[in-house]
Amino acid sequence: MIEFDHVTRTYGPKTAVADLSLAIPRGELFALLGPNGAGKTTSIKMLVGLLHPSKGSLRICGHDVVTNPREAHLHVGYVPDEPCLYDKLTGREFLWFIADMFGMPRHLAGSRIDREIASFELAEFADDLSESYSLGMKQRLVFAASLLHDPDVLVLDEPMVGLDPRSVRIVKDLLAARTRDGMTVFMSTHTLAMAEEMADRVGIMVRGRLRFLGTVMELREQVALEATSLEQLYLELTSAAGVDS
Amino acid sequence: MNRPVPVGESVRLISLDEESRLFLRLRIALVWQAVRAMVTGSRLRLSLVAMLSGLFWAALYGLFHEAFNFLDVLHADVIPLLFNAFFSSLMVMLIFSTGILLYAGLYCSPESRLLLTLPVRAETIFGHKFREAMWFSSWGFVLLGSPMLVAYGVIRGAAWPFYLLLLPFMLAFVVIPAAVGGICCMLLVGWLPRLRLHLLTAGVTLACLAVLWFGWTLLTEPKADAMSAAWFERAFARLRITEQKLLPSWWLASGLLEAAQTSRTGGVDGTALAEAVKFLSLLVANALMLQVVAGWLARVAYRRGASHLAGEVPARRRRRPGWFDRLLVGTAASPGRPLRLLLVKDLRIFRRDISQWSQFLIFFGLLGLYFVNLRSFNYHNTYASMIGFLNLAVVGLILSTFTTRFVYPMISLEGRRFWILGLLPVDRDQIVWSKFLFSFVGGVVPCSLLVFLSDCMLGLPWSLIAIHEFCCLLLCAGLSGIAVGLGARMPDLRESSPAKISSGFGGTLCLVLSSLFIMLVVVTAAVPTHLFLLSRTLGPALVATDGLLAVAGGPWGTAASLAVVGLAGIAATVVPLALGLRAFRKLEA
Repeated sequence: MIEFDHVTRTYGPKTAVADLSLAIPRGELFALLGPNGAGKTTSIKMLVGLLHPSKGSLRICGHDVVTNPREAHLHVGYVPDEPCLYDKLTGREFLWFIADMFGMPRHLAGSRIDREIASFELAEFADDLSESYSLGMKQRLVFAASLLHDPDVLVLDEPMVGLDPRSVRIVKDLLAARTRDGMTVFMSTHTLAMAEEMADRVGIMVRGRLRFLGTVMELREQVALEATSLEQLYLELTSAAGVDS
Repeated sequence: MNRPVPVGESVRLISLDEESRLFLRLRIALVWQAVRAMVTGSRLRLSLVAMLSGLFWAALYGLFHEAFNFLDVLHADVIPLLFNAFFSSLMVMLIFSTGILLYAGLYCSPESRLLLTLPVRAETIFGHKFREAMWFSSWGFVLLGSPMLVAYGVIRGAAWPFYLLLLPFMLAFVVIPAAVGGICCMLLVGWLPRLRLHLLTAGVTLACLAVLWFGWTLLTEPKADAMSAAWFERAFARLRITEQKLLPSWWLASGLLEAAQTSRTGGVDGTALAEAVKFLSLLVANALMLQVVAGWLARVAYRRGASHLAGEVPARRRRRPGWFDRLLVGTAASPGRPLRLLLVKDLRIFRRDISQWSQFLIFFGLLGLYFVNLRSFNYHNTYASMIGFLNLAVVGLILSTFTTRFVYPMISLEGRRFWILGLLPVDRDQIVWSKFLFSFVGGVVPCSLLVFLSDCMLGLPWSLIAIHEFCCLLLCAGLSGIAVGLGARMPDLRESSPAKISSGFGGTLCLVLSSLFIMLVVVTAAVPTHLFLLSRTLGPALVATDGLLAVAGGPWGTAASLAVVGLAGIAATVVPLALGLRAFRKLEA
């Protein structure tokens, strides 16, 4: 579903992502971890077409993100770290705009909008202008919009920021259910507990390079320390000594 | 490599027409909601804006009516030249303003980042942002150009086709510079990202040099023949450069001049009308062609340019406190230190925000250049006094735009950082006072220098210079008081954009009150002074020997007017500041 093929991205003299090769199959929930400035957000921005790779190629469902962006985007839902909405549209109007953008038939769009409004418990404020929403409400609306067209790939950049515990639970349950149905999730997060709980595989990036790729169990075996929690393993792997070794 | 996965039946790529309709619906919904919110929530602001726009339009119409009336009788042949100069200047301004607005809209806005992640064509996103930028950059042209053209039509006795063609002419014209601005913007971002800053710097430098050269040529002209026929000839000869037949501004000017032609009986002149339609067709064809080119370029370059720009990292620059900052902060335990620390903070932000100091520099620089050129004219003493007061009003008006745009939002912007200031051991009043001092000192230095320069160039006596400087001091204090006081009284703590804060109700009110205050100060001070000078020049009998005019034109009148000006200045400073301080003490972030 997602293929990074020797992808490198530079910012002037600085290499943000170096020779990243990664394939994520259908139905997998992949969590990308790493300290600030490791290259996680750059990888996500390349995945959704906001940045082009300096070298290498990136495909979603077989479509090159640079040469066929529209075809690739048709398969993707994206939840950015800072939700962007139209202040002067209501939540429902925003969902209709997204549904129309994906060319969804009217009857189907209507039922899907109702479905997502119910799933994310938006009914109470769906007809208010989004300028009056709190950060958590905006985030829930963006989640609803990203899942409206049942995407094959869902890209999440720090998805739990601003969500209350109940909304976090809703999102976790939804992600689990959707991945069981075959949706691929690519998620960047600093919440290690969530990655440990939900991810099929984790990738740990440090200074633009993928330092580890595998399951949490494999990470434990590789680091072979007394450390038992993902937090301890992560800190060991991303510490200066860990990076240098 | 895996083969592309087909999409499900629930989604599809929509056609270009469907995209266009979708974005049109989006635009209508956004405008409708904005208008509805304005009508229901800010009726006073809407009424004020409508009333002031109407007044502005009517005043411009009157001004242009008088000007065309004068020119039509004496110098009718000059009108095409003036049209060409006016429209070509506007064309250049529209290219720059649309280019800058598109740069912000296409490459720096959260909306464009959202749209770039959706299955929408790059050219549709461009079209959506292009129409928005074109509207924002050209509404001023319609507001400024329509009274001028209507006044011209009325003076020429133009028939109905002239008025019918006005809007199509203007709309077709604005698309051309807007599209050129858009094309330049995409080319610069897409292919010459590293050259962008250098080109911008070179462009601004060239423009400044051109203005300086023009000013210098006027300055070095012999004083004796200023405003004479030969002087006008030379001035017009410089403007002939705008009469290029390949410029859209020439097509617009020629088309409108043809459309205003009438037959001998005063009816529609068929031949001239056909010529006008030909020029309109030329404008429409070029506007459409440039839109096609811009759309094609967006398809090829927009996503690539957005990626280029998103990948640029700002250069890291170490900043050290300047000597002035160190001087202002002074010793650690000296009294008033928190106030001075707040001032230094605002000063640093001002210095490091190019949008603030560059506008400040451009407007006051141009004003200075104009004042330097005043020496080219030999004024009668009373005219010189009048022009001195008008210049004082202009300085005040420009300062009021700065206080509204930059000073008024300062307290609101502090609201977002209120947790920092709120937890500091600083009296809240000091925050408000620091903004006032920052605005007052920042305004009074350049304004008093400019007024002094203007008065010296006009050769005014010291007594008048002192009056002008007194008024200028009060204007700076009053305008700062209004902006800071209203900013503290009506803060918008949720908004992060100073432009949006200043364009809200509070900002509009600030601008209106500032304008009224300037008018009050200048008119109150100018009338007695003018009457006094008239009585000295023409003799008391020709002005008034008794009654109110005689008193007003005497020394007591001047003294009384200055007292009124002083009271108005104190009131404009103290009342809004007191209201603002009281509100700010109770403010809850």
